[in-house]
Amino acid sequence: MARFVLSRALKAVLTVWIAITSTFFLLRLLPGDPTTLMVEGDMTPEMQAALLKTYGLDRPLWEQYVSYLRELIQGNLGISFRQIQPVTDIIIDRLPWTLLLAGSAFVITIAVGIPIGVSAAVHRGKWLDRALQALGIGGHALFVPSVAMLLLVFLGAQLGWFPIGGAIDPDTRGAAAYLSLAHHLVLPVLSLVLVQLGPYALTLRTNMIEVLGEDYIRAAQARGLSARRRVWKHGLHNAILPALTLMGLQLGTLVGGAVLTETVFAYPGVGRLIYEAVGQQDYPVLQGAFIMLAVTVVVANALTDMLYAVLNPRIRL
Amino acid sequence: MTVKGRWRLTVALGAAVALGLSACGLNEGSSSSSGSSADSSVLRIGTTTDVSNFNPLQSLSKTDSWILNAMYPHLLRIDENAKKAPELAKEYRYEDDGKTAVFVLRDDFKWTDGNPVVAEDVKFTAETIMKYKLGNVAAKLTWVESIEAPDATTVKFKLSQPYAPFAEGVGFWMSIVPKHVFEKAGDLSKFPNDSNWVGAGPFVLDSMTKGQRYVMKRNEHYPLAPGGKAAVGQVEYRIYPDVNTMMLALRNGDIDLMGTPVPVSAAKTFEGDSKIKMAQVGALGFAHLTYNMKNKHLADQEVRQALSMSVDTKAIISAVLQGDGQAMAGPISPIFSDYDNTELQPYPFDPAGAKAKLTAAGYKDTNNDGFFDDLKFGVACDQSNANITRVVQLFRESAAKAGIKLENECVERNTFLSRTKNGEYDIDASQWGVFDNPMDQLRSTYLSTNPGGINYNLLESPEMDALINDAAGTTDPAAFKTKIKNIDKVVHEQAYLTPLYVENFRFAYNASKFTGFAPSPSDLLGMVTAYSLAQVTPVK
Repeated sequence: MARFVLSRALKAVLTVWIAITSTFFLLRLLPGDPTTLMVEGDMTPEMQAALLKTYGLDRPLWEQYVSYLRELIQGNLGISFRQIQPVTDIIIDRLPWTLLLAGSAFVITIAVGIPIGVSAAVHRGKWLDRALQALGIGGHALFVPSVAMLLLVFLGAQLGWFPIGGAIDPDTRGAAAYLSLAHHLVLPVLSLVLVQLGPYALTLRTNMIEVLGEDYIRAAQARGLSARRRVWKHGLHNAILPALTLMGLQLGTLVGGAVLTETVFAYPGVGRLIYEAVGQQDYPVLQGAFIMLAVTVVVANALTDMLYAVLNPRIRL
Repeated sequence: MTVKGRWRLTVALGAAVALGLSACGLNEGSSSSSGSSADSSVLRIGTTTDVSNFNPLQSLSKTDSWILNAMYPHLLRIDENAKKAPELAKEYRYEDDGKTAVFVLRDDFKWTDGNPVVAEDVKFTAETIMKYKLGNVAAKLTWVESIEAPDATTVKFKLSQPYAPFAEGVGFWMSIVPKHVFEKAGDLSKFPNDSNWVGAGPFVLDSMTKGQRYVMKRNEHYPLAPGGKAAVGQVEYRIYPDVNTMMLALRNGDIDLMGTPVPVSAAKTFEGDSKIKMAQVGALGFAHLTYNMKNKHLADQEVRQALSMSVDTKAIISAVLQGDGQAMAGPISPIFSDYDNTELQPYPFDPAGAKAKLTAAGYKDTNNDGFFDDLKFGVACDQSNANITRVVQLFRESAAKAGIKLENECVERNTFLSRTKNGEYDIDASQWGVFDNPMDQLRSTYLSTNPGGINYNLLESPEMDALINDAAGTTDPAAFKTKIKNIDKVVHEQAYLTPLYVENFRFAYNASKFTGFAPSPSDLLGMVTAYSLAQVTPVK
């Protein structure tokens, strides 16, 4: 087990390093520089040069890269060009919101996806199964911001059931604050779940159908085990493993979806921070945000792998 | 571990993660702020993004300026007719043949810590900007040799040479900061100014929940508000990055005013809503096509005039702005009525005439494909600007009738700005943002030294330089106006640019709750200037 954890951790570190390096160079390949966006002010070339010097952008690229890595190892993500604040502080302010949003969507997708997938497999060809197939295909076709806007217009504006944007009413305290938090979370989570749920449950259904046709399930039936026990204990345990891997992979999509969802729902997470930083070519914030997200996804995937090992006794590490 | 045990562990871990996450989130959300937004005297305004820089000497962001301008006074403001009006300065004048600009300040402005706003604050602000070359105001102070504050209400700027709109430019753009607070901060180019704010505008930041809202409390002493303080007790900026979401929030009563203008295409959204009103304001900039003089064919006046004759501005205003815009003839927006040369006539839309003009000038269509052999140009624009992108399409179609082949080169914003900066375009289709006075505009756009970096013509004309420099040093108002109008005429004859339209902006607000806004032109200022917010009253 220790060897497995170590090799998984090494792979994770390598992945994060690749993410850091590609982010660093890709951002600098963008046309223009942060002063480009300020050009419409009365800014002389000397002022622009002074600004680039302040940002350290006048130095050769490799020098910037080495100094960035050196700072990064010390846990320093740099100072935002626009906000004159440490990027770490800016992101730590925002990260909990994205984790809450993506995490809730993740948990709900699994919690709802499992029973739907299993029931659809058991009742093949019935209405639930057909509905799931439609939802699965639809989920692939749906574009998160469109779903988000539709939910906002109908459930938020027309029916007035949910607030329009924001993450919490800052005036609430105690239990009311938790309620307000949950109330604001419903629509953003729903828009992510609607997009993710179908494909996830559909995968589970396919696995389940396959597993239910296995010999050991028939053997279990022959031994007189109840249908419930056959399906939920013996069947699901085996069917869920590939679905778990899929979910780990989809976490990246979920985080990416959060960028768009957060923008539409005015949710104050890292996704919206990225949206704003792109508009301002604030390299340090973008780098920091991408690295944080990459780390989140890599760590979550590593955890999924380990969870897989824990759940599957056949894997001997 | 048994299988059952493993499942329990998994579920327990999941639950712990979920709970931990929600606790994190809640802590951040309730980190600050006081006051109740249900209070009728709380004006809630929609903005699109967080404040990126609280230091008014540095910030270049439009949305930052909405909040910062309400906190830090300016010497002058701009009124609804785009004329400068007194704010902290009650008057200004030139002495010493225009080489000294004198501002006389009001004596009743106070910082929220009780100190009066004095001439030393103005002197300190300007000197700091010059020392650290901060923001875009540094360029407005180029001519300053020294600054004196002989008494508490007089500031004198000694200039190296007379510059006619000096006082207007500095008065309008420079936020005055409290010397006694800022001088303690050390290097002001690194001062974040993100807490314990001391301001002298009608409202001052009190607390914030980053990513969500900024709460500003009333300054109990603001002389430009009727009654000596604003009628609204608190202003809250709430963030909606998506303009559609912001419109829903206004309709739903979550906010009372949209800081950003309502897009033309969405203006009808509020038509059936009796509570929502739209205030219409003019612009301080305009949309234009500017020709790169480094292109050998565009350097030909005949070609530029022919291109101007191929633009159907009426159709553009009707199709792109749904009729809600103003046509222009010369390079000065009609909003500056003192300087707009009304004798100029726009080039008529006449593609056939343009074609004849080009044929007469010797251009040929040897392969008879309907296009002149040499006249192929790219039109660059920012594709995130839907209006301008549409303009380029229409221009392309109409220019084809005149035998000029245009390529649509509308690209992503950063790429566009980068290309503009490097002069990599034939024709630039874009929109000037904010010009507070025509002289600064003409200097920035036509002077060969390209002081503002926006001489998109890349024009290097000694004649034009001489005209601009001569006008800039003219302090007699009547002579100054005449000289500006003459430059208007030259630019028009040369067809350095084809002005397209001045857009009207519409700001939506909940008129059943608040009234009395005093909007200023442009989407930079709109409804949320310090002066405007100080005039707003809750509807009883």
